[in-house]
Amino acid sequence: MNALIGWLTRAYAVSLYAYPREFRLAYGGEMERLFRDQCRDAARSGDPLQIGGFVLRSGADWLGGNVRERLDSARGMLANVRKAAPRGLVGEWTMTLVMYLFAATTLVQAYVIPTGSMEGTLRVGDHMLVDRAVYVKPGALASRIMPYRDIQRGDIVAFLFPEDTKQTFVKRVIGLPGDRIRLVDKQVIRNGHPLTEPYTQHIDPSLDEYRDRFPTRPNALTMPRGLDMFERHVKNGEVIVPPDALFVLGDNRDNSEDSRYWGFVPRGYVVGKPLFVYWSYDASTNELDHWNTAHLLDIAEHFFTKTRWERMFLVPKSEQALEGKLR
Amino acid sequence: MAKSNAAEIENLLPLTPPVFHILLALADEERHGYGIMQDVARQTNDRLQLGPGTLYGCLKRMLAAGLVEESDERPDPELDDERRRYYRMTRLGERTVRAEAERLASAVTAAKARRLLGHAGGKA
Repeated sequence: MNALIGWLTRAYAVSLYAYPREFRLAYGGEMERLFRDQCRDAARSGDPLQIGGFVLRSGADWLGGNVRERLDSARGMLANVRKAAPRGLVGEWTMTLVMYLFAATTLVQAYVIPTGSMEGTLRVGDHMLVDRAVYVKPGALASRIMPYRDIQRGDIVAFLFPEDTKQTFVKRVIGLPGDRIRLVDKQVIRNGHPLTEPYTQHIDPSLDEYRDRFPTRPNALTMPRGLDMFERHVKNGEVIVPPDALFVLGDNRDNSEDSRYWGFVPRGYVVGKPLFVYWSYDASTNELDHWNTAHLLDIAEHFFTKTRWERMFLVPKSEQALEGKLR
Repeated sequence: MAKSNAAEIENLLPLTPPVFHILLALADEERHGYGIMQDVARQTNDRLQLGPGTLYGCLKRMLAAGLVEESDERPDPELDDERRRYYRMTRLGERTVRAEAERLASAVTAAKARRLLGHAGGKA
């Protein structure tokens, strides 16, 4: 929770750059402190309604304050037009716009979980914010100014579905480049070590020849990238993850379309790391994929009863699987 | 001097609710931003919760109007882990909030006279 508050406060501090420069310099530090105190109060209450109220209020406060201070500084500038401030009205507004666009397109992205492949960890209808900066390629400008770390085994990542990049998927990273992966009766064996994975769930006791004894007999393979993986990256009954690629699996292991079926995720397709659930609504995959009036009406009518309040601000964790020894 | 002050106060009225409640919060002691916000929430039964943008926007304007000033004293240096800024009400601020309270009181009296507000006898 403290980490989340720290992150929110940092994000708030960055968002203050949208305020006029003079105002930010005079009050930015104080505003950041007050925001953090209010975050702590809301978190301490533990009441989802209060937390939700705080979030809505903060958004409105930020926007309202921004508009007010902008108008104020514009008025001041018009009055002092002869003094000709070096950074004029246009410059100030450009700065604001750039900040909005930067935040909206670079730092975070809203994402909704449409399928049950991560069920057990993430549920259908979980609306999440995805941190787009954390996994940015090393060496990129953003990696130097934002908190950055490399992808590790056990991380949950959001990525573009390689077979159809219009879709974004969320799965768990099981194999990094060079890792050897196989499944023996649902048990993942990585580099010769069977994994104990506390985060997985199995809903189907029967054994599927392909799904659970991967990579043997490609009877279910239909996707071209899956076939490619099978033809070029299987050696001695194991898949070997190529450079700049990831092998990912869903936590709902028996009902997940993942790397077993459509191959590796290229490193460059990774969008980011899901940060937290900001809203969880009980809806079906179909409703989430095809927004229509009926779904909107359903939300309007059942917002309070079908919102899963207990999932609000849930942070999906990276979890390291324990590596055992083969008997 | 007194005359120009009275005119100045007249120009400031009516105060917006945030400004009025911030002045009330500063009536008995100096406070920092978080203290002001907490006191305003108490005064209004949590109905007015000042966010950072509203609070410091108001304080900026109140400083410019001379209603409040920054305090250089640290009322509680022991408990003060961070260098927070404290604000105190000026003489002008005190007279303004008094004038605003009187204005509101006369409005309340008017409302009572028209039976729009509870009397001692309760709801009619």
